Amino acid sequence: MRLGLICLCLFFVAALMLSTGSARAQSDGSATFEALLVWGTNDAKTDPKFKPADPALAEKLKKSPFKWEHYFEMHRENVKLKLNEEQTIKMSRNCVISLTNLKDNQIKFELFGKGTLANTVTQSLPKGQLLVTGGDAENSTAWFVVLRRVE
Amino acid sequence: MTEEQQLKLQTFFDKELPEKEAREIASWLARDADATALHAELRNTRQALKGFEPELKVPESREFYWSKIKREIERSAPARAPAEQVSLFTSLRRFLLPLGAVATLALVGIITLHQFGGGVVRPVPVNAILADAGAFTYRDESQGMTVVWLSYPAEKKLADSPSPDTLPAK
Repeated sequence: MRLGLICLCLFFVAALMLSTGSARAQSDGSATFEALLVWGTNDAKTDPKFKPADPALAEKLKKSPFKWEHYFEMHRENVKLKLNEEQTIKMSRNCVISLTNLKDNQIKFELFGKGTLANTVTQSLPKGQLLVTGGDAENSTAWFVVLRRVE
Repeated sequence: MTEEQQLKLQTFFDKELPEKEAREIASWLARDADATALHAELRNTRQALKGFEPELKVPESREFYWSKIKREIERSAPARAPAEQVSLFTSLRRFLLPLGAVATLALVGIITLHQFGGGVVRPVPVNAILADAGAFTYRDESQGMTVVWLSYPAEKKLADSPSPDTLPAK
């Protein structure tokens, strides 16, 4: 009898997980994104007020071809977008990004520097993936706008 | 008397020899006492067998006789075992066991898919439109990261400007 109950429970758990997966796939397509403005530097002596970037993110950036050792989170924005919704987010005084949540986990990302469109990237951005836009900044440092899907 | 002669004699006795040979054997019988004795023995044996061969007759007709045997065989055959009484619990368990096995396999599959993302790293197509001629796009599949590197605002005049382009004012 006990074995039968265990089997029954397993069946229900599997059914629940399958239904959850399909429900997720049939959701309204809304998604939450996290946009981070990150500063990269090799100078260890920085303002103590600066908040170090998420270690996992910093590790990923260090493993990339970037030459910087230290990464600081300067600004963070969480944006919830419905399907095909577009939103503009101010990341700094001169940096503005625009996000459009497209179908099939696609995202359209536009970056404006001083009001001028610098680049447009459209790609699939599932959870766990990063879209990093960066450039050189003064004193051999760099800036990054990191975009990732939260939900 | 040889064995072959004995056989010849037996064949003669059974009237199975050709006429010429039969005459020879008859002539031989007239001359040979042993052959005559054997022939007489054969004759006696045949008569004895004919006299004692039983002829049994059953009182019923042939069909009825065999149908009786058939009925007797069927009656003495072992009766079929009665159908096993299966309890509700046993039936339920018989149903649930394979179901549980399937559910376990499904769970393992789902967990594997969730943990390893299907185990296949598919390249992500990136469509980038860069206004900056010096910019480039780089895709790191192992890190799951797309990097767009802009030369803007690395221009000296921007870098040297009192307000850094993208970093917030400190």
